[in-house]
Parts: sequence; structure tokens; C-alpha cells
Amino acid sequence: MAKKSSMGRQKIAIAKIPKKNHLQVTFSKRRSGLFKKASELCTLCGVEVAIIVFSPAGKPFSFGHHEVDTVIDRFLTRRPKPAESVPACQILEAHRNNNIRELNFVLAHLLNQVEFERKNGEELERFRIANEKGVWWELPIERLGTGELEQLKLAMEELRRNVVEQSSMLAGDHRSGMELFGTVDHVHGSIQFQDCEDVLETKPLDHVNGGISSSSAPAFSNYLNFRRDDGIF
Amino acid sequence: MSVAFVDREFLDIMTRKKIVLEPIANESTRKATYKKRKKGLLKKVSELSTLCGINACALIYSPYDPQPEIWPPSHGAVRRVLTKFREMPAMERSKKMLNHEGFLTQRIAKANEQLRKLRKDNREKEMIHVMYQCLTAKDLLLNLNLVDLNDLGWVIDNTVKEIDRRVETLTTNVEPRQMLVARFEGAPVDDHFPMNRQPWYMNHAMPAQPGQDAGPILPDVNADNDGNMVQNFYR
Repeated sequence: MAKKSSMGRQKIAIAKIPKKNHLQVTFSKRRSGLFKKASELCTLCGVEVAIIVFSPAGKPFSFGHHEVDTVIDRFLTRRPKPAESVPACQILEAHRNNNIRELNFVLAHLLNQVEFERKNGEELERFRIANEKGVWWELPIERLGTGELEQLKLAMEELRRNVVEQSSMLAGDHRSGMELFGTVDHVHGSIQFQDCEDVLETKPLDHVNGGISSSSAPAFSNYLNFRRDDGIF
Repeated sequence: MSVAFVDREFLDIMTRKKIVLEPIANESTRKATYKKRKKGLLKKVSELSTLCGINACALIYSPYDPQPEIWPPSHGAVRRVLTKFREMPAMERSKKMLNHEGFLTQRIAKANEQLRKLRKDNREKEMIHVMYQCLTAKDLLLNLNLVDLNDLGWVIDNTVKEIDRRVETLTTNVEPRQMLVARFEGAPVDDHFPMNRQPWYMNHAMPAQPGQDAGPILPDVNADNDGNMVQNFYR
């Protein structure tokens, strides 16, 4: 199902929001955006920041660079910024800033991949809709009549048998190849395929290299010419 | 301040473009960006406070001014918010307290989760397409590895479940024949079934498995008087 796009940018009056739900949602979103902006300001311009907000329920949320309490103390004690003179502090700060830069780098890379996958999804959706116009069995199930449903089901079952057969062949022994991935119900003689997600989860996500390591990458993707790499780095 | 600056392309910073999150090397660009973003940030805090009717404050210390930029604009007001903050039990304060590293780590975790979900959904979509392709071209299976085959199997099972559910709905609610008519009246037949389109099973030459029927057998209820099946669906 295609994701419904949001309403987009709406002009809003700066006054207390009357509806409680709306207010809560706005708080969450804007708080998140606020911290994001603060984070960007700190990284880009090398400034120290502290932001404190209380939720509509009265819970405190805070963001600080480098630390909330440090900046608050600086304000409350009216102390001018020290530490320039102490080499140890400089090294520490440089180290932290480096850390932050790395995190930003990883985040940017991830967000690129998210964007790539999103576009991928949209293209797949367009592709699917285009194909619906071709043959009846690619229509959504709800649009098919009983006869067609029966036919389709039989075709599916046949295909499933072929898939099991092919897997056994690839697995190279007389046991069902699906035992590698799924579970075999010996009583009923059926095979339960493992959820796609579980298979993909077998390899740990490699954050720096962006997701699943290539050795477990599926072979067929070349069919549709959807590239698995995002070509960013 | 001992921060390592990296050279950044000097572009018009006043335009909306995807920004690289690195310390700005150029001094004047940095200062200009600071001024603009600082103003924006304080505005956002103010808006949040008003829209949601909540207490908030912001402190910004820059190398350009020994005095911090603050919101609300008065020291007293800021002190009041800070006092309220500090009066809360330490546990409460630290629960949702984030330093910069923590904040970024959190965002990374969220992005990872998003990515995982998107990839899963896209994979499912791709496999559904492969599934449909395989219906008319059995050879395609030969190009798939075990991972693909497993995912394909999963998607097939899902589709069959959907079909069963749908059949359940149809047979328990309405007479099948009536359902047939209803569907025709609703469906835009011309778009989807051009006259030159053959039913797939006519092209489909799947060899019969030993002990299995060679092709789909349909119950009478969907046949016309001559026992013709799907041909009737096509005009």
C-alpha cells in the first residue's frame, strides 16, 4: 500500500493550540526539530548550547552541547569561559568534537540510504501499478472473482512446489533445502518458510558500511536493475 | 577554540540546500551562519513555548560574545526556568537529558530502524514481482539463490493466505454467481482486459506433476452453459 503523503507545510497561528492531541503531537515534532537545529548549529559554528523544555505533562526534556549541566552552570555562576589555557581540556574537547563529527557522518550516510530506499519503494509501487494493467492475476486480490482466485491459488501452489524442489537441488542433498531456512513439519509434511525479515536479520547490521553485508545479498536483484549500493560513498 | 576545521566549498549559504554537517572553515561564513541560525533557533523555542503553552529556555554561548544569547530575553525569566528544572529530582532531569553524542546516537538508531523496515518492505515488493514473473516463466527460478527462494516461498504463502481469506469472505457472504455479476458491474473491464490478451494458462505449459492434474479445474458455478471457464471474463 502506498504511503499517504502528509498535508505539507501549513501556515499556523502562533497561539496556544486548542486541541490536546494536536498540541501533544506538535510538541513532540517541534521539540525533535528544535534539538536537531541546535545540534546543527553546534556542529557548524562551534558554539555551546543548552535547551530546556517542559512537556505539556510537565516532564523535562533537555539538550546540551557539550553537556546541559555545564552550560547551565556557566550561566548561573556567571563564570566567563575558562579552560582555554588548560591543554588537557583542549585535547578532551577536540576528541569529543571528533566523535561528534564521526556520528554526524554515520547519520548522514544512513539518511542517504533511507532516502534511497524510499525512492526505491516509490518506483516499485509505480512499477506494480503499471503491471496491474497487463494481466488479471496481478490485480489486487480483492478485485478477483472466485474462479480467478481458485486458478491463482492452484498456480501459486504449483509454484511453491517448484520453489521447494529448486531449493532442495541447490542445497545439494536429499533433505529439503528449506530446512536451512525454514522449519519442516514432518507430521503434516509441510514446510514453513522463514519470514523474509528473519533471514535478512541473520547478519548483523554493519552501521558504517550501511546495512547488510554483501555476502548475504540476494542474487536476483539484477532482474529489476535496482542497485543495492547507494553509490554515495 | 581548538576545533579542527575542514575546508568547505564557499557557496551561497543563504539558499536552501542540503548542508554538510562539518564545522565551517571560512570565518565570515561561519559568523554569518551563526547569526542566521541562532536567530532561527531562538524563534523556534519561542514558538514551541507559545504553541504548546509550556515553559522553555535556551542558552547559546558563542566565541563572538562573552554574554550568552538567551530566550526568554530576560535573565530573570531564564533563571526561573532553570530553577524549575533544577528543582526536579535528578532522575527526572536525566531521563530525557541528551548531550550531543547521545542525541546523535538516538537519531542513528531511529534511522537504522527506518532503513530496516523500508528494506524489508521493498524486498517484499520485489519478491511479489518475481513471483508473478515466475507464473509465466518457470525458468526464472533457476536464477535465484537460496535466500531468494526462501523469500519467494514466504511471499507465495502470504499470497495464498490472502486468497483464502478473500475466498472465505466471498463464499460466506454472497452467492458466487451474484458476486460474479457484481464484479463485472464494478470493474473497468476495457482497461484491464484488452481483447488481444490471452488467459495466462493458455500460454502456460507447466508440465504435470506425477499424480497431479494437468491444469486447474474449476467448479461449475463459474462456467457458462457450455462449460467455458475464464474465456467469459474477456471481451
